[in-house]
Amino acid sequence: MTEANSTPRRTDASPDPLPVEEAANVAERIVENVEEVIVGHHDVTEQIVTAILARGHLLLDDVPGVGKTMLARSLARSIDCEFTRVQFTPDLLPTDVTGVNVFDEKSREFEFRPGPVFGNVVLADEINRAPPKTQSALLEAMEETQVTVDGETYELDQPFTVIATQNDVEADRTFELPVAEVDRFTKRLALGYPSPEDEAEVLRRMSGRHPIEELEPVTTGDEVVRARETAARVTAEEPIRAYVTRLANYTRDHADLGVSPRGSIALLRTAQARAVLDAREYVVPDDVQAEAESVLAHRVRSGTETGGRSGEALIAEALDAVPVE
Amino acid sequence: MSGDASTGEPSASESASPRSPATADSPIREGLRDGLRIGDGAASYHRLAVGSVAVLMATSVSVLYHVTDIVGGTGTLTALVAGTLVVGTLLARRLSPRHAALVAGGLLAVGLAGYYMSVPSAYLVAVSFGKVLADNVALLTGLSVLRMTEVGAWALGVAPALVFAPWYLVLRRRYALAVAAGGAALVFFVLSGDAGSFVTLVGTLAATAALGFGTLARRGGTPEQVDAIAVVLVTMVVLSSTVSVVPGGATSPILPGGGSGTPTVEDAFVTNQDRLSVVGSIRLSPKVRFTVEADQSAYWRVGAYDRYDGDGWIRTGDPRDYGVQQPPPGPSLEIEQTVSVEAERMDAMPAAWRPLRLTDGDRDNVRVGAGGSFDPVGSLREGETYSVVSRAPAPERRQLQTAGTDYPARVEDRYLQLPGSSADRIADRTDEITADASTPYEEAVAIERWLESNKRYSLDVDRPDGNIAESFIFDMEQGYCTYYATSMVTMLRSQGVPARFVVGYTPGQQVAEDEWVVRGLDSHAWVEAYFPGVGWVQFDPTPGGPRESAENEQVEQAREGNVSNVDTDESEDGTWTPSTTEMPDIGEANDLTTQSGENGTTDSSVNATLAGGRGQLEPVGAGLDDGNVEPVTSARTDATTASKADSDDGGLPLGLPSREQTVLGAIALVGLLAAARRTGALGRAQRAVWLRWQPRRDPEADVERAFARLEGLLADEHRERDPGETPRQYLSAMAIRGDLDDRAERVGRIYERVRYAGEVEDELAEEAVSLVDELVAERRGLGGR
Repeated sequence: MTEANSTPRRTDASPDPLPVEEAANVAERIVENVEEVIVGHHDVTEQIVTAILARGHLLLDDVPGVGKTMLARSLARSIDCEFTRVQFTPDLLPTDVTGVNVFDEKSREFEFRPGPVFGNVVLADEINRAPPKTQSALLEAMEETQVTVDGETYELDQPFTVIATQNDVEADRTFELPVAEVDRFTKRLALGYPSPEDEAEVLRRMSGRHPIEELEPVTTGDEVVRARETAARVTAEEPIRAYVTRLANYTRDHADLGVSPRGSIALLRTAQARAVLDAREYVVPDDVQAEAESVLAHRVRSGTETGGRSGEALIAEALDAVPVE
Repeated sequence: MSGDASTGEPSASESASPRSPATADSPIREGLRDGLRIGDGAASYHRLAVGSVAVLMATSVSVLYHVTDIVGGTGTLTALVAGTLVVGTLLARRLSPRHAALVAGGLLAVGLAGYYMSVPSAYLVAVSFGKVLADNVALLTGLSVLRMTEVGAWALGVAPALVFAPWYLVLRRRYALAVAAGGAALVFFVLSGDAGSFVTLVGTLAATAALGFGTLARRGGTPEQVDAIAVVLVTMVVLSSTVSVVPGGATSPILPGGGSGTPTVEDAFVTNQDRLSVVGSIRLSPKVRFTVEADQSAYWRVGAYDRYDGDGWIRTGDPRDYGVQQPPPGPSLEIEQTVSVEAERMDAMPAAWRPLRLTDGDRDNVRVGAGGSFDPVGSLREGETYSVVSRAPAPERRQLQTAGTDYPARVEDRYLQLPGSSADRIADRTDEITADASTPYEEAVAIERWLESNKRYSLDVDRPDGNIAESFIFDMEQGYCTYYATSMVTMLRSQGVPARFVVGYTPGQQVAEDEWVVRGLDSHAWVEAYFPGVGWVQFDPTPGGPRESAENEQVEQAREGNVSNVDTDESEDGTWTPSTTEMPDIGEANDLTTQSGENGTTDSSVNATLAGGRGQLEPVGAGLDDGNVEPVTSARTDATTASKADSDDGGLPLGLPSREQTVLGAIALVGLLAAARRTGALGRAQRAVWLRWQPRRDPEADVERAFARLEGLLADEHRERDPGETPRQYLSAMAIRGDLDDRAERVGRIYERVRYAGEVEDELAEEAVSLVDELVAERRGLGGR
């Protein structure tokens, strides 16, 4: 845990959007910069950048030691923002995440001491190991971009992105995230083991100084906020909205639990962000398809009666079957 | 993309339509089972079956409507039918089939009871079970319902049951029973000869379609099955128009009332049937039918008709047993005639009007027809003779002028009927023609003169559709006696003058002072009008000269061609010339022509009719021709010039198709399209056109169509776009496979911008369309698939 920023910026007025080319450039720089540290995960890096541009949060499903922390740190560094990290444990309290009021003997007043959630890039490590109450404290912050402690509400700094990881290895010691909470994560991603070549490259880079130490910021938090505004203004015409709806409907028809409307919204937002990556001011079906799996797969549950497929398989099937019009 | 998976439509037509999200999913697949989709519209099979049954019912109702149009009561019929439909619709959900059968039976019983109430009591006295049975058998063997005296009441009586039963059944989804009920009514009219072949064909098609759609509605169906129904229907149309035995009405060769080929005038009316259909072109038979020995010449009358249905004439009422007849009330001339039959057989007993008694011949074999003529019960054979005493009305002109309009009720009831649909129009025209006439007689003369001077005589006639009289009065330029007489009767009736249509023979060739040879070509139709205190007075509106010329030419040709039985011994020697009269240029013309040729005016024609001595008893104005009618040398040349004139004037050598032809043609076209679709030919042709020809609408639609064409082009070369494949992915996949250049990619980008960015600009559309035009032209040319 590190210290947190105690002066959250207000973000009531919507910021000026960057021109789409500049926004694309910002995104590209972030991706390149992160790849200085994270080797061989170009697609995942892009997915993370579109999630950030879509004002989303990430769930990383992974074995330990594949570089999740490095990913989050390099991301924070690239955008010149605060990086915080919370290690979730069974005894972690909600206030350990949000912050706590401390009585100041001198001023004889309670003073709020912000928790790690007051960062720009928050890594919530092994979130499923904490009890649900603590999990929900983080989830409230994700949903509302604000934190309430002792009845007092504190606005969170922008940009604000939570990268949560789950430990699936020791499932018996975890509190599995409820479906409703998984749904709040825009995307679920997995880094996976690097290929042998990539791993060799990782080892080569690690031999000297850690590359994260040399990583320079390539943009600012403000620019990221403005690029987000650009993404929010990307045109998504009726055919695209209809296509997203059809995809969602397909999952509802072919699984026990289909994609929620929140999922459809997330898909449309990330598709807008994907269009920004291509410096395009409108969404094409390709954007939707590129984001569909990572945005939708973790939101569906398919039991034995509906084929028992994984979410990824179902989404792939939907992309094949649902006509692009 | 695979058409079957998404909408069940052929892929070509599907991708031609703008893709809309609504056509993607399961509702359409369900709709495919219950109904037929045509374009954006959809109709359930049940509705199609209901529509077909409605058409089937309409065929029977049209027969009834036709009946009421002739005898009156169309308004009542329409209201009855509409009311029954409403009641049937309301009851369909509530009434059990058992009760519905009772209702239908009750309606029929009430209707028939109403009919029997309306027939004259004289008939009711004679009514018996056997008689009713015999009447019905007669109806089912080709006796037109129009022969019933009170057919109007009958039509109104049967209409509700006839409409209720099929309508109730089809709304209950009992399709087969509904078709059976509706079909039974139609079959009745087919057997009675009242449903023409067109109506029959339409009814048969509707019944077939109703059964087909009904089955589909019960079991579910596919567009292919609908195609199959259409193919069956068109096969029926094609077969029925190429094979002559159509189950049908009066014009069918298998039923009485008509024949194939060019009929003779005699075929048309002198066979003395109770129904006379007006036909088109006719020919004249030069063979001798009978010879008459009489002290005066006259029109040898065979029979009269009272009811006019637009297509022809019907004689209502039954013949009576032989009895001596009453002479006409006014002054009359007695004619005694002896007729020798020269034809092989003859079904009529021609005699001058009015026949009173048979003085020689088999009285048991004679009945008195409804029109007052003598009819043989069995045919007369060659060599048979009979003698009849007739008294012809011989009024002074003054008597006709002062006869007034105090007609007896029995005459008014029967002889003023006109089809309602044309009555007003004919009346208006006749009003103009008879504007100066103040008495019925003057009206008759004016009408006669107008017909003689405004219409040309020709045997070469295209039978008009619809009302004969109306067509002849307003549209046609030429016709023969049937047309003239029909028109005059209707015109007289429109003025309130009772009149009837009479058939028989003109006097024929006079071969001795008291002997006439009558040939088939002398058969004729004329008019009788009723004058109170005088009786039935003959009028002949047909121009005499042209008719006789045509007839004489036929005789000459037949003689030259050595046709047998053209002459009797006497007639070969030429026409007898009355020694007391100076007759220049007798030649081959018979006496009628020469006599009447001198009587050019109306006034004198009456005098001629009434001339004493050896004078003729011929219709008023029988020879009004020469002064007024442009001379026509023969029917043949007349026809030729007329047809020339037609093609010169009209500019269209081919006439417009008739309504029937149009309808049948449309049905055939639909069937052919269905067959083409079934075999895929239509799809290919449609696709080839679709690929090459792009009508311009708005930029958005243009670009989408252009991209669809590009897709179609690539689909033919490589593969279709998969459902889940984006345009971008598809184009890059195609670019890898083949020699796709930037133009295709450019079209794809434009398509994206228009479809997904909402940029609608004319320049973009222009560019996309012309790029695709180029690509199609390069890759496919103008021919190919």
